[in-house]
Amino acid sequence: MNAQLLSTRPEVRRGSCGAAANPFEGQHRRRLLKADLLTVLFWASLAGAVALWLADGGAAGFSTPAGAFTALGIVAGLAGMDLVLLMLLLAARIPLIDRTVGHDRALEFHRKLGKPALYLLLAHGILIAIGYGMAEGLDPVSESAALWVLVPDMWLAYISMLLFIAVVVTSLVAVRRRFPHEFWYAVHLLTYAAVLTALPHQFSVGGLFAEGTWQRWYWLALCIATGAALLYYRVVQPLAATFRHQLTVKRVVQVSPGVVSIEMSGLRLDLLAGSGGRFFIWRFLAPGLWWHPHPFSLSAEPVQFDAAGQGVLRITVRNLGRGSAQLASLRPGTKVAVEGPYGLFSSAARSRRHVVMVGAGIGITPIRALLESTPFHPGNATVILRGHSESELYLGEEILELCRQRGATLFHLTGSRPAGVRTWLPENSARAGHRLASFDPKIAEADVYVCGPAAWAQNVLEDARAAGVREDQLHYERFDW
Amino acid sequence: MRTRAAVSAALASAGILIAGWQSGIHVADIGSTVASAAGSTGSTGPSGTSGSTGSSGTTGSTGSSGTSGSTGSSGSSSAGGATGASAKAVATYDGSVVQTRFGSVQVQITVQAGKITDVTALRLTDAERKSEQISNRAAPLLRTEVLNAQSADVQTISGATVTSAAYLNSLQAALDAANL
Repeated sequence: MNAQLLSTRPEVRRGSCGAAANPFEGQHRRRLLKADLLTVLFWASLAGAVALWLADGGAAGFSTPAGAFTALGIVAGLAGMDLVLLMLLLAARIPLIDRTVGHDRALEFHRKLGKPALYLLLAHGILIAIGYGMAEGLDPVSESAALWVLVPDMWLAYISMLLFIAVVVTSLVAVRRRFPHEFWYAVHLLTYAAVLTALPHQFSVGGLFAEGTWQRWYWLALCIATGAALLYYRVVQPLAATFRHQLTVKRVVQVSPGVVSIEMSGLRLDLLAGSGGRFFIWRFLAPGLWWHPHPFSLSAEPVQFDAAGQGVLRITVRNLGRGSAQLASLRPGTKVAVEGPYGLFSSAARSRRHVVMVGAGIGITPIRALLESTPFHPGNATVILRGHSESELYLGEEILELCRQRGATLFHLTGSRPAGVRTWLPENSARAGHRLASFDPKIAEADVYVCGPAAWAQNVLEDARAAGVREDQLHYERFDW
Repeated sequence: MRTRAAVSAALASAGILIAGWQSGIHVADIGSTVASAAGSTGSTGPSGTSGSTGSSGTTGSTGSSGTSGSTGSSGSSSAGGATGASAKAVATYDGSVVQTRFGSVQVQITVQAGKITDVTALRLTDAERKSEQISNRAAPLLRTEVLNAQSADVQTISGATVTSAAYLNSLQAALDAANL
């Protein structure tokens, strides 16, 4: 069934922005500037790692074949370690990165760096073994053995290498074969061991970072800053947020078969205003559940009861896996530990006056929250909901009501996908030749928010690009993890 | 906007690399002059002291490791006799020559009344300019440590582990020769 449920109404109620000016232009420009700045920082940090070695006169090493191998090995090691540190920073949930490119984009980049980092570290080990071996008249294997036995801290470096290989390989396999999240998580914790065991030999064996050199200070500062960022943003801040908000489960409401809304009451929720649609990582502190982190988006703006910030948060969850299934039977009063909010699925990503929101399945729920809070003039928003049946358009009634209040156009697209065709539309709509632009002719000048299963979302994004939507107007949250 | 990021990143990286490279050339020049200066003082140092005492009885410069120690000790008795008037017996002992991937290392100790009074590096790792720098930094530190500890049982210098290990190895041979 395809139906436009609501036409735009020329009522003027909310919104303070003028009709002509784009109120998001400044915010958008600043965000792009920050994104460019982060890109520059990324490359500058890599260049800096190599420059450490150049500034030490390292280029002179190329005068002999053995020296050339050693020099290349050193450069590979520096660049590899720098990449590892950058990967850690990308995964550290640093607000600057999160508010600029979004947590999921940062993690995507983190994943992309995994293999290059591993290759550089492997090259480091092999090239150094060859270079040192040539200088000493040993073959690389004997040289490696000699390094292991004779040079202090080197055995740790070998262990580190093995750990790095284990982490990257199992991560790739885990992604491909879809191991349980817990397995992937446990393996990923080994990264910390890998980095820590890699550090001693850099400072003791590597002449570049010998005591008294400025390079040693630079590298130390880099490592300590990375560790501090991880500790602060991944441990201290979540603990602080948990104690600050004192969340407890208030009630669990069945939305439709297999889908529940979990309401949590807490304190100081005024600090979370505007985070509707962004996601938190929740831990429900109940037996058998407390160790399982759940990333879920708010399905509504935080509701505030009083000036002190007492209020209610709500998430809407579908029974996706073992962990999610248990959530339906959560008891009221269960304490909740929280990390967040994270992600760019919020008004902070807006760049245009016009906005189009497309959600599928459980991905509809952050759209619901965004629709509630993101500023637009009546007639400047289109909401498209996609599901197999009407009952899968979760929170559909709330969304209808919000669209009515705020003057947004709402489409319900239900039915199965046509076989063998790559489309995000249901069969009848695809047959009719509908495109994203058919639902909103102004889409080329709109922010497009997409939330739903990865393959489906890719099809929406392609359609949007075809309609002339630029990359910086596309806001997409993965919702299948 | 993407091009802006790409261009700025390229410019910044190039700038950093060129700056590093330029200061690297600079450092290389300084490094070699420092190394040669240290080398010259190093060579004058021992000749000044051991020249008087051992009357170059430090024939240990023959180089062979174990035996040089013994010749050193034989030299010491004569030297002790020669300079016995001014001070108690002063003797020098050469350590073994230890090969490393960065070059060979050999030290000489000066012993007076059963105490190590000086440690001199006869050879230090110098295979590359970098090793020279490391040696020049590590040798004085090791010397101080050894004089304080009066043994080869001291910490290696971080960033110069290979040199340190060879230094202490050679030192142990010299100590053995001196029966310390």
